[in-house]
Amino acid sequence: MAYLVSRLMSVALTLFLISIVTFGITNILPGDVAMMIMGTQSNPEALEGLRQSLGLNDPLLVQYGRWIGGMLSGNWGASLLFNEPIAPLIAQKVLASGLIVVMTMIMALAFAIPLGVWAARHRDRWQDTTSSTVALLGLSMPDFFIGIMLILLFAAGLGWLPSSGFVDPSEDFLGAVRHAFMPSLALALGLMAHLTRMTRSAMMGILNQEFIRVARAKGLPERTVVWGYALPNAIGPVMTVAGLQIGYLFGSIIVIESLFSYTGMGWLTYQALLNRDIPLIQSTIFVIAAVVMLVNLAVDLLYRVIDPRIRLG
Amino acid sequence: MRKFLSAKALIGLALVLTVVAVAILSPLFIAPERATQMVMSARLQPPSLAYPLGTDQLGRDLLARVMLGAQTSLMIAVLAVGMSIVLGLPLGIISGYFGGRIDNVLMRIIDALLSFPALLLALTISAVLGPNLQNTIIAIGIAFTPFLARIVRGEALRVVQMPYVEAARAAGTRDGQMILRHILPNIMPALIVQATISLAFAVLAEAALSFLGLGTQPPMASWGLMIQASRQFLDLAPWTALVPGAALAITILGLNLLGDVLRDVLDPRVR
Amino acid sequence: MLDQTPQQPLVSIENLRVEFDGESGPITGVKDVSFTVNPGETVCVVGESGSGKSVTSLSLLRLVEFGGGRIVSGRLWFRPGEGEAIDLAQMPAEKMIDLRGDRIGMIFQEPMTALNPVFTIGRQLTDGLRRHRGLSAAEADARAIELLREVRLPEPEGRLRQYPHELSGGMRQRVVIAMAMACRPQLLIADEPTTALDVTIQAEILGLIKRLKREFGMAVLFITHDMAVVAQLADRVVVMRHGEKVEEGPVERIFADPQADYTKALLASVPKLGEMRGKPAPEPLRIPGAPEPAAPKPASRSETGRAVLSVKGLTTRFPVKGGLMRRVVANVHAVENVSFELGHGETLALVGESGCGKSTTARSILRLVEPTSGDVVMDGQDILGLDAGGLRRARRNMQMVFQDPFASLNPFMRLRKQVAEPILNFDLARGAELEDRIAFLFDRVGLPRDFMRRFPHELSGGQRQRVAIARALSVNPKLIIADEAVSALDVSVQAQVLNLLMELQAEFGLSYLFISHDMAVVERVSHRVGVMYLGRIVEIGSRADIFEDPRHSYTRALLAGVPIADPTKRMLKESIEFKPLPSPVFPVGEVRPAPVYDEVAPGHFVLENE
Repeated sequence: MAYLVSRLMSVALTLFLISIVTFGITNILPGDVAMMIMGTQSNPEALEGLRQSLGLNDPLLVQYGRWIGGMLSGNWGASLLFNEPIAPLIAQKVLASGLIVVMTMIMALAFAIPLGVWAARHRDRWQDTTSSTVALLGLSMPDFFIGIMLILLFAAGLGWLPSSGFVDPSEDFLGAVRHAFMPSLALALGLMAHLTRMTRSAMMGILNQEFIRVARAKGLPERTVVWGYALPNAIGPVMTVAGLQIGYLFGSIIVIESLFSYTGMGWLTYQALLNRDIPLIQSTIFVIAAVVMLVNLAVDLLYRVIDPRIRLG
Repeated sequence: MRKFLSAKALIGLALVLTVVAVAILSPLFIAPERATQMVMSARLQPPSLAYPLGTDQLGRDLLARVMLGAQTSLMIAVLAVGMSIVLGLPLGIISGYFGGRIDNVLMRIIDALLSFPALLLALTISAVLGPNLQNTIIAIGIAFTPFLARIVRGEALRVVQMPYVEAARAAGTRDGQMILRHILPNIMPALIVQATISLAFAVLAEAALSFLGLGTQPPMASWGLMIQASRQFLDLAPWTALVPGAALAITILGLNLLGDVLRDVLDPRVR
Repeated sequence: MLDQTPQQPLVSIENLRVEFDGESGPITGVKDVSFTVNPGETVCVVGESGSGKSVTSLSLLRLVEFGGGRIVSGRLWFRPGEGEAIDLAQMPAEKMIDLRGDRIGMIFQEPMTALNPVFTIGRQLTDGLRRHRGLSAAEADARAIELLREVRLPEPEGRLRQYPHELSGGMRQRVVIAMAMACRPQLLIADEPTTALDVTIQAEILGLIKRLKREFGMAVLFITHDMAVVAQLADRVVVMRHGEKVEEGPVERIFADPQADYTKALLASVPKLGEMRGKPAPEPLRIPGAPEPAAPKPASRSETGRAVLSVKGLTTRFPVKGGLMRRVVANVHAVENVSFELGHGETLALVGESGCGKSTTARSILRLVEPTSGDVVMDGQDILGLDAGGLRRARRNMQMVFQDPFASLNPFMRLRKQVAEPILNFDLARGAELEDRIAFLFDRVGLPRDFMRRFPHELSGGQRQRVAIARALSVNPKLIIADEAVSALDVSVQAQVLNLLMELQAEFGLSYLFISHDMAVVERVSHRVGVMYLGRIVEIGSRADIFEDPRHSYTRALLAGVPIADPTKRMLKESIEFKPLPSPVFPVGEVRPAPVYDEVAPGHFVLENE
C-alpha cells in the first residue's frame, strides 16, 4: 500500500518533468505563432495585438503556468491546423492508435514467446540458429520498409487488405481491424524479432540455474522442465521488456501511421510537427510521453504481483 | 578468440566493412554527378546493364544514389552516436559513481526524458530546429543521450561495487584517479557494444526522419528520402523502394551482428 | 559401518571417460575412472576443483549431457536388485527419467538457488512423487508432509504453501533432501551439499544425511573437497585429481597411511582442528615437497607497549528504509559494541558464521563503511575522527586483502600497475625505485617476475591472491586485514597462501586481522581469537583459550559443529535440531545494553549478557 502511494507520487513528479520538457522543447521554436495564425502579410499592429491577447509576450514561467493550468483543467486549447479543440481530437486518435498497439502486442507475444523458448531449448542446434537468424533479419529491417513491402504484397499485389485509412472500431469493428492489420503487422514483425531474442536469452539464463538441474534430477521429462518449470520464470522479465518496448513502439507508430495514412495519434503528431502547430505539438507529445510512462508503471506493478518473491516480501 | 571467427562475426564484419568501404570510396569510383544527374528519358527504368539497379522517377542512377546514400547515413549515424556519447558518458559516470542526491536528481530527469520515444524526440527537435543535415545529427544525438546515459550509469554502478574499487579506495586512490583508472576501462566493453547497436538505430532513425521529411532534405541522396520518393511509384517501379530498403537492411543487419558478437566477446560476466 | 555379507556392488563405474566441447577442441573432464559403491555404504569422492569429481557423479544420472558433456566410453553399472544389472551409460533418455528421483536421488551444492522461486514448496515436493508413484494430489501432499518431518523441518504443514524465498539456506537444503528422498532411493548422490552452508548448519545437514542413510539403508555417494567431512562421513574414499583416480580405500587407511603423493600432500595441506594444542605460536603447514617455511613468533605486547590497533565500542548500523517517504523504519545492527586490541606482529582472528558482522567490523575499521559510533585508534591515531584527506593518508598503514581473488583485481589493468597503485597514490617511490620495489614484492610473494606484465585473467585464483597480498604489502602497512582471504581457494593453494601470510608476518612484523568462518584455519594462523555472533563479540582470548577452553555456549556450539579430520573421532550427531537464527534488525531508537564481559582467565573474556 505504502509502495503504491510512493509510486504514484513518483509518477506525478515525472509527469511534471515531462511537462517541463514538452513546454521547453516547443518554445525553442523560432516561428511566430501569431504570424502562423494570421498569415505573414498581416498588419504588424494586428499581429502585436494578437500576441498580447495570446499572452505570448509574458515571461516563460507565466506562459508555462497558463499552459499547465489549462491542461489540468481540461482546456487544451485549439489546434491551429485543424481549427478544432484539441482534447476531443486527441481522445479519438488515442483510441485508434490503441487498437494498433494492442494488436501489435498480441501478434508479437503470441509468436515470440514460443519461438524463443523453442530456440533456447535446442540451443546451438538448427532450431536455434534458424530462429535467431530470422529474428535478426526482422530486427534489422526498418518497420516502414516492412510496411512498404506489406503494401506491395497484400494491397497492391494481392489486394487482400486496404493500404490506407482508418475506420472507427465502434462503428465497424471488423473494418477497423482490417485497416489496422497491416500497420500492426509491420510493427509486430520487428517487435517479434526483438522479443524472441529476449525470450531466448532469458530462458537460457534460467536453464542454467540450479533448480533446473534439481528438477531434472527428480526425473521430470525435459519438456516439462522447459515449459513448465523454466518458462514461468521467464514470463516476468519478458513482460518487462515488452512493456518497455511500448515506448519504442510509440515512436515507430508515427512513421507507420503516416505510411498507411492511418489517422491515429502518430499521424496526428506528425501532422502537428510538420505544420508547426504548437498547441497540438505540445499536447500530443505530452500525451504520448505520459502514456509511455503509465504503461511502464503498469508493467512494474504487474511484475510485483506476478513474482511471489516481491508479492510476499 | 575463436568467437571472432564464427560465421556470425565474419558476416557482420563483412557487411559493415562493405558499407563503410562504399561510403568512403564511392566518390572515387563514381562521379557524384551520376547520383544527381537527371535523365528524363530514362525515368523509372528497371535494373539493366546500363543501370544495374535501375533509375528513379527523375532518371537518376539508383546504384550511384544508393552508394552516396551510404555516405550520408553513416556519417550522420557516427556523428549522432558520437554526440550522444560525449553528452551521455559523463552524465552516466557522475550519476553512477557519486550516487546519492546527484544520482536521484539526474535519474529523475533521464527517466522523464526516456518517457519520450527516442524517435519522437528526434522528430520534435528536428522540426523545432528546422530540418537539415546538421540538425538531423543534433536531433538524433540528443534523442539517444538519455538511453546511453542510463546504460553507462548501470555499468558504473556495477563497477563501483566491485572489490577492486574498494581495494583502490583502501589504497588511497582519489575520485578522479578512480574514474580514470578503474571505472572507465571497465565500462568500455559495454559502451562499445551499446555504441554499435546505437549506430544501427541511428541509421534507422535517420532513414525514418528523412522518410517523413524531417531529416535530410532533397536533393541529398539519403536512403530514407529515396524510399519516401518511391511511395508514389510502388506498383510501377518497386525497385525504387527495394534498393534503398535493402541497403538499409544490410547496414543495420551488419551492425546488429557486430554488436551481438562484441557482446559475446566483451561481456564481463562471461570473463 | 558395513555389517552385511559381501554382495554385488550397487554401482560399479568402469573406465569412465567424459569429454566436453571446449573452444579449441574437446576437453577431457574425466579420463579413466573406476570405483564401486556397495549397498548401504558411504563413498566420498574427494578432490580439488577440476578433479572431475562432480562430472563423475553427474554422469551417473546422465546429467552431464545437459552441460555439454559426452560419455565417450566406460560403463556405469547399476544393480538395484537381484540379478538386475543396468548400464546407465547406455540407457535411453526416456528410461533415465524414470530412474532419476526414484531409484537414484541427487542433491546439489547451492541451496539458495535449488528451488524454483515461482512455485510453492508443496508443488515442488509433490510433482516428482506424483510422476513416479502416481499419487493423487491429496496423497502426495500427505506424503510431502511426512517427508518434511523426516528431514526435521519444523511446522511442515505450513511449509507446503510457502515459497522458497521464505526459507533460509539450511531449510531449503532440507527441502531439497526431502525431494531427493521422496521415493526412497537406493542411492543418494550428494554433490558438495554443505559447501555453501555455515558450519553449524553443515553439521545439522551432515547429521541428517547420516541418519537417513542409516534408517533407510541407502548408499551415499558424497562429493566434497573437505577432508574433514570425508573423515566424518565416509566408509570408503576415492581421491581424484585432474580427471583421474589417484587412490581409493577404506577411510581409516587413507587417513592413517596414504599411499599416493597427492593424497599425502592433500592431507598435509588441511588444517586439522586440535593439531595446534600446546603450540605457542601460529605454525605453517608442512607441505611435503616444499621447503620449510618460516614461522611467526609468539605474540609479545611488551616490545612496544602500545597496541597497533585498539577498537572500543565500535557500532555500525545500517538503516532500513521503507514506507511512504522512504523513512528509516528500522536498523540492521551489523556490529554492536565491539572492542578488542591487536598488538604488533600479532594475528587476531574474528570468527563466526555468515551475518555475524565480522566483515562489517573490518570494513568499519577501514571506514570503507562508516561506523555509527565507537573508537578506532590505529598506531596512536584516532581513525574515526579524521577528515577525508587525513583518512586517505592514514590508510597507508592499514591495507586489506579481499575474499574474491578475481573480483579484487581490475581485469583491465596490468598486475604491475595494480601492485604499484598504492605506492603511487602515496607518492612513496618513482621511476627505477618503483620498478625495483614492485619486482621485490613479486619475488616476496613467490610470483615469477614476468607475471608483472600480465592481466588478472591469465592467473589462477591462488596466484591472484598473491598479487593482492603484494599490493597490500606495497606500502609497508602495519596492519593487514584479511577478509576471508583464503576461503575461495582450493585446499592445497590455501595452504600455500596461509604459509605465505605467516612468513610475511615473521619477516616484516605485520599484524593481521584475520576474518574467517573456518575454525581449523583460524586455529593455525592466530595468536588470539574473537568469536562473533549477531554483531557482538561473545568470547575473546588467546587461541589456546578459545580452542581448548571454550566457555560461551555459542563458541561451544561452533566448535562442536566443526568436522574433525580424523576418522577415528566421529562426532556427528544425528539428532541436531534445527535452530532458527535471530534477526539483527531492530526498531529505530532501540537501545541495546552494553556488553558485560567476564574475565575467566587473564586475557580471556566471555560475554555474560545477551
